[in-house]
Amino acid sequence: MPETRLLFKHIDVPGIDGIEVYERAGGYRSLRKAVREMSPDDVVREVMTSNLRGRGGAGFPTGRKWSFLPKDGRTRYLVCNGDESEPGTCKDQEIIYRHPHLLIEGVLTSAYAIGAEQAFIYLRGEFKGGYLTLRRAIAEARAKGYLGDDVLGSGRRIDIRLYLGAGAYICGEETAQLESLEGRRGMPRLKPPFPATAGLYGMPTVVNNVETLAAVVPIVEMGGQEYAKLGTKESAGTKLFSVSGNVRRPGNYEVELGKVTMGELLHDLAGGPPEGRRFKAVIPGGSSVPFLPPDKFDTPLDYESLRAAGTMLGSGGVIVLDDQASIVDASLRLMEFYRHESCGKCTPCREGTMWLEQALGRIVSGEGRQGDLKTIEGLIAHIDGQTFCPLGDAAIAALGSALRLFRGEFEERIATPQRQLAEVAQ
Amino acid sequence: MNQEHLAEAKSLLTAFPGKSSALIPILHLVEDEFGYIPQEEVDAVAGLMGVTAAYVEAVLSFYTLFHRQPTGKYLIQVCRGLSCHLRGADRLARFLYEELGVQRGGTTDDGLFTVEEVECLALCKDAPVVQVNLEYRPRATQEELGRLIAESRQEVARHA
Repeated sequence: MPETRLLFKHIDVPGIDGIEVYERAGGYRSLRKAVREMSPDDVVREVMTSNLRGRGGAGFPTGRKWSFLPKDGRTRYLVCNGDESEPGTCKDQEIIYRHPHLLIEGVLTSAYAIGAEQAFIYLRGEFKGGYLTLRRAIAEARAKGYLGDDVLGSGRRIDIRLYLGAGAYICGEETAQLESLEGRRGMPRLKPPFPATAGLYGMPTVVNNVETLAAVVPIVEMGGQEYAKLGTKESAGTKLFSVSGNVRRPGNYEVELGKVTMGELLHDLAGGPPEGRRFKAVIPGGSSVPFLPPDKFDTPLDYESLRAAGTMLGSGGVIVLDDQASIVDASLRLMEFYRHESCGKCTPCREGTMWLEQALGRIVSGEGRQGDLKTIEGLIAHIDGQTFCPLGDAAIAALGSALRLFRGEFEERIATPQRQLAEVAQ
Repeated sequence: MNQEHLAEAKSLLTAFPGKSSALIPILHLVEDEFGYIPQEEVDAVAGLMGVTAAYVEAVLSFYTLFHRQPTGKYLIQVCRGLSCHLRGADRLARFLYEELGVQRGGTTDDGLFTVEEVECLALCKDAPVVQVNLEYRPRATQEELGRLIAESRQEVARHA
């Protein structure tokens, strides 16, 4: 099962991070086509027709998101979400570090489409190297007239400002990101109003993920209709999947949505489990979605099929656990993450993740009590759908499914006294 | 802040459509210069931004890359994301603690190294991942980190 490369078509070309090589590979043709031959509304229509859905995790139709901007003459902003922090996800990192001009072209073309003169690229603070790469690439693009006060002689101004976050998972949530971009603690805002009507500095704003904006480049190049022929009717195009954990060839793989199954991704592309091991389960969409067990590895990789299989496509971060990995340990590791990253704004998330971490910590260290699983399930019920932003639901998705699919592992760990666990560890 | 950073900080005040956006970039300048955010700088940044020191502290305490205590010349951050956890991140962290004689978050007595365990660094395909002063070390091994420590020590000794 081969990859279908649109975004990664040229990523292995030596020097593609430089503008000359990028141009020779056809780079900035989409921006030129958009600015010279299409009206902004034409570009929006192509993106609508393409059925592109947000690649950050939520899968919301990109063209629809753009169409929510009110036509009231106010300043509009485009924010590119490069905060990639979802555990298991490293696709945007590869675009930013290795293919910066693809992202810049996507941002400029999209800013043109939505009528934004100023775009921002918000990078997580740990992407310092990517920040320097993008800064150099933006300078190259500016020297060639692709951005600045007069984009390609059109008389239009489009500029990009880079912004480096400082370490906080929640800043990937779009309203928290806007708070951070405005120099505050990254705590989510109440919605509505949505960013489309009151976003950055209170102005109409679109926030799109790195991969989403990069996908606008091939969409403009090939046309929305051609793009929509890839993938399935509801899950169009290609998607980057980051495969990590217990596999032989971890990596980012670009495949047509719905045309490749989880099993094919894991075996044909990622090389199967390590020698002598078997797969136990995967978390297919970044750590915030339910586990998918091996008996469902024939599920095609698209939004609808994965949902029908009880999980979600999410960000496409596929974390693989083999039969040597402990679901109980993994559950604790994930809960420590969510407890650390909870912004503290709402009680169910702030307190709930802390109590869940404590209960799981007891079980892992051999001090689990009968009744702990009931306690955990009670806490899950009090978080589920009860939190201010999606982080709460994200924190319990994998754990809830782990209790359903691998309950025996938890019970066994609770039944094993501390003394025996210590002996096993020896 | 040194003169260069101060000039940059002042230019940041007008670089965004809203002045408030300058705060985090300015705090990055301070962290880069001192390896942490000293109290005098909190006051200085507050003065520059026209906000209270409490406000600056409220913002910086939200973000893990801003430190309130001095960090080593080399800030070693071991990713403990699930993918790295599955590929030996715990062993890597233990190795560093033993090699450097520090605990989690600690700094060596000579002020050279700080070791932290951090959440997912978004390079899961190359797990286990470490960042040294925010530069990636993909597929990190004990041997490589041991060499890096030895080389960094020599480098510093040469310039001493």
